[in-house]
Amino acid sequence: MAGKIKSIIDSIVNKRSNGNATIATLTKSKMVMKGINPEKYTSTSEDDPVVIEKLVVLAKELNVNI
Amino acid sequence: MNIKSVYSEKSSVNEAVREIQKQLQDFDTKMLIYFASSNYDADLLSSALGAGFGSITIFGCSTAGEIISGKMLKNSIVAMAFDSQSIEDVKVEIVEYVKSDCDIDKAFNSFKEHFQISMAELDYNQYVGIILVDGLSGCEEKLMDRIGDKTNITFIGGSAGDDLKFTKTYVYANGKAYTDAALLVVIKPTSGFDIIKTQSFKALDKKLVATKVNTEAREIIEFDNIPAVQAYSEALGVAVEDAANYFMSNPVGLIYGDEIYVRSPQRIDGSNMIFYCNILEGMEVSILESTDIVNDTKQAIQAKLKELGKISGMIDFHCILRTLELEQKCQTEDYGKILTDIPAIGFSTYGEEYIGHINQTSTILVFK
Repeated sequence: MAGKIKSIIDSIVNKRSNGNATIATLTKSKMVMKGINPEKYTSTSEDDPVVIEKLVVLAKELNVNI
Repeated sequence: MNIKSVYSEKSSVNEAVREIQKQLQDFDTKMLIYFASSNYDADLLSSALGAGFGSITIFGCSTAGEIISGKMLKNSIVAMAFDSQSIEDVKVEIVEYVKSDCDIDKAFNSFKEHFQISMAELDYNQYVGIILVDGLSGCEEKLMDRIGDKTNITFIGGSAGDDLKFTKTYVYANGKAYTDAALLVVIKPTSGFDIIKTQSFKALDKKLVATKVNTEAREIIEFDNIPAVQAYSEALGVAVEDAANYFMSNPVGLIYGDEIYVRSPQRIDGSNMIFYCNILEGMEVSILESTDIVNDTKQAIQAKLKELGKISGMIDFHCILRTLELEQKCQTEDYGKILTDIPAIGFSTYGEEYIGHINQTSTILVFK
């Protein structure tokens, strides 16, 4: 399976930013600092369970429900 | 609206404070930020400045060198005064015992009470945060991470220094000196603010992935599944024995878009590399190559000045490694001159804060 990581990243960014482009960029930068680079993942990226688990934790830290 | 920067090189605390007071005697100071050499007695300095300026908001930290408009200094106090027209509101909070517990909830609750709105909802266009933190606490990443989780406002700042003695650093507020602590300040500047982040590096097309790390110790055990120092040396094309000679000119960086977040190697321990800030397991970093600090900083400030039309004041959180490089190249005078025409203060930090904890960077708070 593929694409789940990008889908979760997009969900986190959209929910945290509410469509605000500045906050979206800021959120992506925060994700980079937390060890997930959003630019690395596309809709064809493999569903790596380790990365997905990291994203679940990251979403919780950012107070976002995914 | 008015912002004024002043300094004193008097070695006695009382004489230095009197000189600072004298320069501001006709100024309606509402908020005073100061950065002082660690050679001043921390408790004496904080209480003397607190007593000298009465009930105004006053805070600062110890340094590894000071910056004032036109000059880079040592063994001095630099201060920036803001009048009541330049600052609409300000609130200072101290987070103590950061080494064992980076709990910012109490501080954020206090901000909520003061501003009557939660930090999550505070308008990032109108409010800006300053963070000054014990530069030997090793907790900057955790603090910045937690702050970033709970608010969208920018917190910018630096890690306090102690003139390269590496024994004790202090943050100052409420007439007291604190160690093992962070100082969080939320400001609403009347005419707005902006940020400059500048680092003098370009990314080379050589990447390393941290595959084994000791996060707490800021230690990389393996890059690309081989011993860290070997991988770093191979990427640079130099002998392992010479690797440390390249740390200053060739740190590594997290790259996101056009932004570089520098991670500077501190030393080699066996085949491991200790950094001045975290690289998490799985992170990909690029090898960087240094460029011209004076020229790059000048361009960054001129570009911001052109964009804004006017800058009323600047606070430069300037990495000690940049200061050391400027000293090596006899360029401290040239760097000081970049800031001549604008009221500015700054200090040589043990790390810079902006979104996260970074190295070999100047994070500059610009007041419009």
